[in-house]
Amino acid sequence: MIVLILPLLPVAGAGVLLLLGDRPRLVGVAAVGTLLLTLAVAIAAATSEPSFGWAWSPGIQLRLELDGFGRTMSVLVPLIATPIVAYAAATEDDGRRRLLALLLAFVGAMLLLVSAADFLTLLIGWELVSFLSWTLIGHRWRDPDAVRSATQAFLTTRVGDIGLFIAAGMTFAATGSFAFAGLAGADPGAQAVIAAGVLLAAAAKSAQLPFSPWLFAAMAGPTPVSALLHSATLVAAGAYLLIRLGPDLGAVAWFLPAVATVGIATALAGAVVALVQTDAKRALAGSTSAQYGLMFIAVGAGSVAAAGAQLVAHAAFKSLLFLGAGMAIHATGSGWLGSLRLARAMPLVALLSAVGALALTAVPPLGAAWSKERILAATLQASPWLGGAVLIASLLTALYAARYQLLVFGPPDAGTRAAQPYRPGAAELASLAVLASVTLLLSAVWLPGGERFVASMTEGTLESGAAWEIAASVGLTAVAFGLVWQLFRSRRLLTFGLPDRLQAAAADWLGLPAMTHAIIVRPIESLAATLARLDDRVIDAGIRGVAWLARRVSALAAIHGEWTFDGIVRGITSLTLGTARASRTTDDLGVDAAVEAGARGVGLVGEASRRLQTGESHHYYVIIAVGLAVMLVVLIWIP
Amino acid sequence: MLSAAVILPIVGAVLIFVLGRQLSWLATSERRLQRVATLAAAIPLVLLAFAWLAFEGTGGFEQVEALNWIPTLGVSYRVGIDGLSLPLASMTALIFVAATAYPVDLRGRGPSYFALMLFLEGASIGLFLALDLFLFFVFWDVSLVAMYFLIGAWGHGDARRSALKFFVYTFAGSLPLLLAILGIYLTTEPRTFDMAQIIEQQPLAGGGLYAVLVFIGFFIGFAIKTPMVPFHTWLPPAHVDAPGPVSAVLAGVLLKMGTYGFVRILMAMLPDTFAQFAFPLAVLAVIAIVYGALVALAQTNLKRLVAYTSINHMGYVILGLAVAGAAVPGQAAAQAIALTGATVEMVAHGLITGSLFLISGSLLARGSTYETDAYGGLLQRAPWLTSLTVLAAFASLGLPGLAGFVAEIQVFTGALAVYPWLAAVGLFGIIVTAALFLRMLGRVFLGGLPERWSEFRDLGRTEAFTLAALLALVVVIGVFPAWLLDVIDSFAGPFVGR
Repeated sequence: MIVLILPLLPVAGAGVLLLLGDRPRLVGVAAVGTLLLTLAVAIAAATSEPSFGWAWSPGIQLRLELDGFGRTMSVLVPLIATPIVAYAAATEDDGRRRLLALLLAFVGAMLLLVSAADFLTLLIGWELVSFLSWTLIGHRWRDPDAVRSATQAFLTTRVGDIGLFIAAGMTFAATGSFAFAGLAGADPGAQAVIAAGVLLAAAAKSAQLPFSPWLFAAMAGPTPVSALLHSATLVAAGAYLLIRLGPDLGAVAWFLPAVATVGIATALAGAVVALVQTDAKRALAGSTSAQYGLMFIAVGAGSVAAAGAQLVAHAAFKSLLFLGAGMAIHATGSGWLGSLRLARAMPLVALLSAVGALALTAVPPLGAAWSKERILAATLQASPWLGGAVLIASLLTALYAARYQLLVFGPPDAGTRAAQPYRPGAAELASLAVLASVTLLLSAVWLPGGERFVASMTEGTLESGAAWEIAASVGLTAVAFGLVWQLFRSRRLLTFGLPDRLQAAAADWLGLPAMTHAIIVRPIESLAATLARLDDRVIDAGIRGVAWLARRVSALAAIHGEWTFDGIVRGITSLTLGTARASRTTDDLGVDAAVEAGARGVGLVGEASRRLQTGESHHYYVIIAVGLAVMLVVLIWIP
Repeated sequence: MLSAAVILPIVGAVLIFVLGRQLSWLATSERRLQRVATLAAAIPLVLLAFAWLAFEGTGGFEQVEALNWIPTLGVSYRVGIDGLSLPLASMTALIFVAATAYPVDLRGRGPSYFALMLFLEGASIGLFLALDLFLFFVFWDVSLVAMYFLIGAWGHGDARRSALKFFVYTFAGSLPLLLAILGIYLTTEPRTFDMAQIIEQQPLAGGGLYAVLVFIGFFIGFAIKTPMVPFHTWLPPAHVDAPGPVSAVLAGVLLKMGTYGFVRILMAMLPDTFAQFAFPLAVLAVIAIVYGALVALAQTNLKRLVAYTSINHMGYVILGLAVAGAAVPGQAAAQAIALTGATVEMVAHGLITGSLFLISGSLLARGSTYETDAYGGLLQRAPWLTSLTVLAAFASLGLPGLAGFVAEIQVFTGALAVYPWLAAVGLFGIIVTAALFLRMLGRVFLGGLPERWSEFRDLGRTEAFTLAALLALVVVIGVFPAWLLDVIDSFAGPFVGR
């Protein structure tokens, strides 16, 4: 039962918020209070491994269950959401109540998703999360750009939903139920289809290639929305699904390599995109794709435990970074990386953000460094190539993380006028502090017993790496930091001296959105337009042609009048002849006439029927009665 | 009691037609007239609620009421319910209450409008309850006539032409239907129009040319009414020119007559022939799904857009039926799910698309156009209209937690087990419908508010209440579908032999 209360609690809180009226303080307190309560329930639920099922239909049961990594997720979601919602309550004046209510509902949907124990429940949570993210991204609905972005985000993830539909249907076809538990028993062919569906859904949701650009669109929402979507929710759903189902689907030979391949491609491309970005939030968005790519690699290398650890660490530091970016943008009114450098204007925020940036870079002893090492160990175990790719991705991560931190919160240029000092409110700072503390506390995983703890929380196994691996990544990080510092000093860090167009193209996912538009969106739209024209002209003309044909056929039938159903045929004949004759009188034999003839005939008959429509409605009933009588006569006439 | 649900609205129609002019208490106030008509329209809803309570779910026809009519021909008046007709008849009654209550431009001919509405309600409920082919056909045809006048006399634009096209087209469909009914009648022994007996006798078991001919007759009749691509071109003009509430009835109720006929007659009486044609039917259904969605995507007229999504949704229904009727061994569970899903889709589509057409009517009343580009930013002025439209649109695109999803997931689950490739193609439709509804919402309700709509009125109380009631049911079915699925399954399970 408690596992049912868990997702319903924030949703109920959202309802309460809407009833509270326009009282900003009270609304904010209620929202944060709801989440704290949810967090408490989540902790209680996670320790008791509860389950709950109810009959959805006679043959289908919906099941909620908290086990494996789901337990971790159910605590992580409200844990990260609480400071973010507090931040939103403190900073968003425009439609605060609606925003907070939607954020709460969104948390509820995400909790439903993570506690799903079957595909149907999962799909319900999955799509509710999509829907709520549509409302959140489009929060500033007066801005057409925000609306477009919300639509793009929803539609892209909807493409992935197809994968989930297929996986769900196939699971049912193969096992007679939607439950995850039956997956391992499905026949290999069905398993392959399910695996493909799961991968498609996960890749779209976690903004992997080729779906990554929707995450940029998701930046159109307010900062807290981005912070929540990118950390423990929405985007996390894809990786969560793989962590949850990856081991069950491992029997499909191509599945894990395919997951790893998608991950590598995105980890590298996302890192490059983040590196050349000139907008603060977009740099973080590129990084989100790349980081989830890393989790995909981990799953592909067979270590769901490392992927889970990385997901948790990322949720904490990425939301921290986003809120920091939000304050920078709030203070300066712009997210352009060329104009920030706020070390003096907001030193405390800069410091907290630095914690996030170091975690992103995976500097020991932070928890994120630990999970990164485990991913590296697992990949090296699986294949040296995979390990090499992870090392390159690590190098790129260090580069863009350091670049981000320096450009946003670095020391201002000596020559330029420093930004006005900015005093963040207590709630804002507290939110950042909480997230930074979580990031720091995750370092505890290095302590003895940490490994066992992580393995038990994800129900996976971990590879331990050799000492040289840690040394190598720390060395790479140091090199990267040095390089970035040099570029910063020489003022080439913003665009690296790249030509504008190349930089712009690279920053926009190497032109992927334009390509998607050109080869998918535009053709579908023009196909739709063509079909619509076709529908108006050709298919409708077809039926007019049939009317003409019927006239000919019935004329023939009238000649050979000894058919069995003579009377009825004659009935049809007289009806069609009537229409046809009317149309012939207006037929002017042109091409247009061929199309329009029938229609005009109809018009003439309409003229006739208008005469019947005298406005005196009892005439209508006379007609109905006559019609009935005619039918009766026809019927009784039958032998 | 079932008979009362059929007859009382028709009696009400006569009374309101006569008294609406004679009684000055009614004749002087359209509002009063509308209230009385709504009350009359609600009678069958109450009666069907009692039928629902008394429903046992035995798998056969229950609460049968019969009366000899033309004994020499084996024609009788016979009504009853099972897990298929009960939800459809109840949904019909609800749609009619909503449509009757919904504000509409009566053109000073209130009594005739409400009389026709009530008459059509009786006929429609009668069609779903009829257990006699002859009776079925009578209701089938009189419903056409009533709808013809409702579109022609209270529509706008080129209403007469649209109404006539609707009438001639669907009437042309009812002639092969009549032939097919007679065709199957002639093979019964003893001769009877009694549906239960025909289903029992299975006179055309084993197929053959004769059975195929009868199948084709029924198919044409039902396919035009549903409508299936390419028999659908009567639908968009009829919807565009019909007043909002009439559109709601047309889409919500009349289209279901076609799909209901598919199940009640084609699948039940000609199962072997149906199985023979199940695959081509599934192909046609997938074409309707994709084609309807794509053509809807290109529409800028709100009503045409919704009309084409109806074609798309009817595609889901037919896909579910084709899957349920296919001859595949060992997939009974999936086939039962598909049949249940298709039936839920009939109910869900009635509620959802009914709401969307009522909304279109409200939009037209305020802005006198259906062109989505003419609007924008209406959320600012009309939060209720916007919220309810968002709910209806997402229900239509199949958001979980709402009725449309309950239908679609079941249809696709069944289809993936029986025709996996077709189902995969059909899934493309769910992306396109999402795209077109989101775009519509963006164009009409979000973005900046043009100056000309700065005085736009939000929904009135009647409108908001009516829509909220319909959509509340959409939510209830979406969240707790079991009460509905139990009833439908009592028919669907035995039907596919599970």
